[in-house]
Amino acid sequence: MQEITRLYALSKRNIILRYKNSIAGFLWGFFKPLLYLMIFIVVFSKQVSTNNYVLYATSGLVFWFFFSNITNQSIGSIINSAGIIKSINVPVMFFPLSETISELFNLTLTLGIFFVAMNWFGIIYSFKLLLVIPIAILFSIFSFGLTMILCSLNVFFRDIGILWTTIQPALFYLTPIAYPKEIITKFHPLLLQLNPVYYFIDAERTIVHENQLPSATMWLQCIAISFTMFALGYFIFNKLKQQFISAI
Amino acid sequence: MSTDSLISFDNVTVSFWQNNMGIHSIKDLATQRKNPFTNKVILKNISFEVKRGECMGVLGRNGSGKSTLLRTIAGLIKPQEGKVTINGTFAPILAIGAGLELELTGYENMNLLLSLYGRPRKGKADVIKSIADFSELSEEALRMPAKRYSSGMLARLAFSISVANDADILIIDEVLAVGDQGFQQKCMKKIFDIKAEGKTILFVSHFPDDVQKICNKAILLDGGTLVHSGTAVEICEKYNQLF
Repeated sequence: MQEITRLYALSKRNIILRYKNSIAGFLWGFFKPLLYLMIFIVVFSKQVSTNNYVLYATSGLVFWFFFSNITNQSIGSIINSAGIIKSINVPVMFFPLSETISELFNLTLTLGIFFVAMNWFGIIYSFKLLLVIPIAILFSIFSFGLTMILCSLNVFFRDIGILWTTIQPALFYLTPIAYPKEIITKFHPLLLQLNPVYYFIDAERTIVHENQLPSATMWLQCIAISFTMFALGYFIFNKLKQQFISAI
Repeated sequence: MSTDSLISFDNVTVSFWQNNMGIHSIKDLATQRKNPFTNKVILKNISFEVKRGECMGVLGRNGSGKSTLLRTIAGLIKPQEGKVTINGTFAPILAIGAGLELELTGYENMNLLLSLYGRPRKGKADVIKSIADFSELSEEALRMPAKRYSSGMLARLAFSISVANDADILIIDEVLAVGDQGFQQKCMKKIFDIKAEGKTILFVSHFPDDVQKICNKAILLDGGTLVHSGTAVEICEKYNQLF
């Protein structure tokens, strides 16, 4: 119970800090995907033959930005909380975890608006849409796992933060968000198979865009990827956490 | 049960990796498989004991390991060797500006720190009011981001939040010097009140007079080892001889 109070307080702090001194506040969270969507419509919608292109691209963007926000917000979470870490005995893992929780809160808002707005872009309302929730949870377990690796290494080598901002656009364009996956599989199927983010976006899209249930293989892939990444992140984080206090 | 041991250190050694930063360490790692970190010992074989109700001063030069010792006591650092036994609860360590989030207002900081400390939401409003009263900061100041505070105001806020936690052990890491005279006296009075309640205070200061006033015993650190331990008066004399 005490731990929940602590996590809640930290998540609340993240949200307050993020939009401090900004007029539009949390609306900025919607502006970025919207801008990307407009660019995509101009550049891609006439080139690709995907039906309901807006629904296709937006469903990818919503998940991508969820992932990208979690990693970007958490990567500095330990360094930036040096003051608290050096004075109160709080499990250090709470800092990236609280960032993940704040982003889940943001995703809930975004998905709410997304489901309403997509009414005009060919979404089919059915109970299947509820399956987006477990996919989003698996995706956040994956993202949290990756984040634990990034933020703990970033304590020792600040290069990790810079490196991550640099390779992110590459990962973004290598993931079929704006275009159908054939474009990339035609080049080389491995490029898609080795991209962990793709599996989650694909499963979500199967539900939202194609109005189908994801196959058992897809579920298993998502579960395997998220838990492997979580275990790896947890292991690395725990190996390094003793050293954080002297390095921040 | 008034004399049982509250904090006990048995041969505690604390060390950290030190990062030999720079492109050379990457090169060495790649070519000679040399570890880019070296192990640096901060505290060596420290043993002492603090009983319930005792107040212990920690003295030593800058960089002698005082803050690391306090953090080890508070459980923020796990020792590599030796055994630390603690039988009580802590208030957040009081060091200059510690734990305060500069972008947040005074009130937001109180809320955050109280929650992180694990205070239930029930009765929090009263605690916040008592913190605000004790700090003597104006309503206007408490509603503005802490980054606009002077160092004295930060110390007021930090001290007020820390003492509001009804903990067994209060750790003070040279903060009192920043407040103005009125607040320093108020803090001293509060420290004596806390002491009178039978609680334990660990006090780091570079002013031997303060240490003698508050503490009955003290330890002297030098280069990460405990060189002397004894009554506050003895240790303060030893400390003065260092310079």
